[in-house]
Amino acid sequence: MRSLLLLWSLAPLAWQLYTSLVTPEALVQGTGVEAGAYWTLENYRQVWSAEPPIWRYLLNSAVVGAATTALTLALAVPCAYGLQRQGGRLRWAVTLTLLATAIFPTVLLFLALLQLARALGLANNLLALSLPYAALCLPLAVLLLRAAFADLPPELEDAARLEGLDLPQRLRHVLLPLLAPSLASTAILVFLFSWNEYPIALTWISRPELLTLPPAIARIAGSSLFTVPYGAFAAATVLGSLPLLLIVLIFQRSIVSGLTQGAIKG
Amino acid sequence: MNPSLVNVLLMAPALVLLAIVFAWPLLDSAWLSTQASSVLTGLAPLANDGANWQRLLGDARFWQDAASTLRFAGVSVGLELGLGLAMALVLHRPGRGRGWLRALALLPWALPTTVLALGWRWIYNDPYGPLNAILKAFGMAPYGFLTTPSSTWLFTVIADVWKTTPFVALLLLAGLQSIPAELEESLVLEGASPGQILRRLTLPLLRPWISLALLFRLAQALGVFDLVQVLSRGGPAGSTESLALYAYHNAMRFLDFGYSATLVIATFLLLVLLTACGWLLLRRRPLEISR
Repeated sequence: MRSLLLLWSLAPLAWQLYTSLVTPEALVQGTGVEAGAYWTLENYRQVWSAEPPIWRYLLNSAVVGAATTALTLALAVPCAYGLQRQGGRLRWAVTLTLLATAIFPTVLLFLALLQLARALGLANNLLALSLPYAALCLPLAVLLLRAAFADLPPELEDAARLEGLDLPQRLRHVLLPLLAPSLASTAILVFLFSWNEYPIALTWISRPELLTLPPAIARIAGSSLFTVPYGAFAAATVLGSLPLLLIVLIFQRSIVSGLTQGAIKG
Repeated sequence: MNPSLVNVLLMAPALVLLAIVFAWPLLDSAWLSTQASSVLTGLAPLANDGANWQRLLGDARFWQDAASTLRFAGVSVGLELGLGLAMALVLHRPGRGRGWLRALALLPWALPTTVLALGWRWIYNDPYGPLNAILKAFGMAPYGFLTTPSSTWLFTVIADVWKTTPFVALLLLAGLQSIPAELEESLVLEGASPGQILRRLTLPLLRPWISLALLFRLAQALGVFDLVQVLSRGGPAGSTESLALYAYHNAMRFLDFGYSATLVIATFLLLVLLTACGWLLLRRRPLEISR
């Protein structure tokens, strides 16, 4: 069962890796090509030295991802804390709003957000992208962090209050250090979302050197419908996946436990 | 200060940003759907007495896209729930390297949709893609996976199922972890078969997680955009165009913002209607079981 699962999940990815490493002749003719003309790094050289080069998109995506993660956590931590302490109808209404916005498909927002970006002069501004991104990540982030706050024993904060610590101090010195694992998994999920977001990046960014990875990839795909350089594409997809592959493999415990714990308590 | 007021102040910045990014766009699009705003009006809004909505009702392309979006969402979410449950059960079983297995199974969900859609375009390529190479090895003619209007939607479904099943599996895995192991052990002692355990214990207790996964995936699938735009570009012959893609084309290609807003709101209403139906159905069921 396990090997079947791995085959299903990894075979399409492995095929991309293979495609990126062979010559066009090898792709088309298969085994008929002699060994010397089979494997190549040319595809990687091509996307690395394209104009703009692929590392530019990776860098853009990393910048947006970092800004989004910082902004989301800065807004979500106080909101989650307030929501956890709040009782009654307001708590119920806010939780329901967060759930509704969490499942909302973001593509339906693109038109009005595009107008907003134009009106406020936010188009073609990488850091401005983190504003809608943070909003789109907030529902999940607040729900996860609220569940984490609920897990802390209330005596802890009472004791800190008796010591004379005010709210920012209690958060910084007592509560947040204990929440570090939840903060980490929330941050990773937010970064993943930001790295993968497409419709808003597609409509807000038009200058090629400012594109994030998803619209850049889609643009390459659209530029040459009939003579598609699949080797170069595959190299681009491998390079675009590599940072996330590393994140998922390094932080697999945080991601899985973050999502599962949040779902259990949320 | 009043503690409740402090809470409201703490929540306010996040809620304000949510209102700007979720509520305002919906209100703005609802208003814009009552206006003519296209190249003809220089993109300036101009009230047009509901002409957009009348056009929508008579627009064959809208109804075709609505039908294909529903078909896509229904089939892919159904498959994802079934496969997701199977995947969750495999990931739940103890064994060496379970953490790594979970991480690797999660990869398709974690990678960008456009990147993977491009990958699937190559897998489906006619005649050089691997699927056609397999067909060729069996002596069959190459198949136009993305150029056959009657079947291309099914191949967009497969790519979507591959990409999002891990997410469903992870949610259901959370549910499985919340079921006390003693319950299953006691059923095993009673001599229940694995199939009986699944039916009598696991599925009833998983119901809240199945509902959550269903609602989430249904809403996302009804708004499908990235995948069809890159994989099939809505084609062939418009057979895989989703409502969101049609709305996008109206705004960015035909520069008809008024009609694009109408499509956005129509999709939103469809979404609310369907998720509300799903919600009501799922809410009633658990009561019947507990009785």
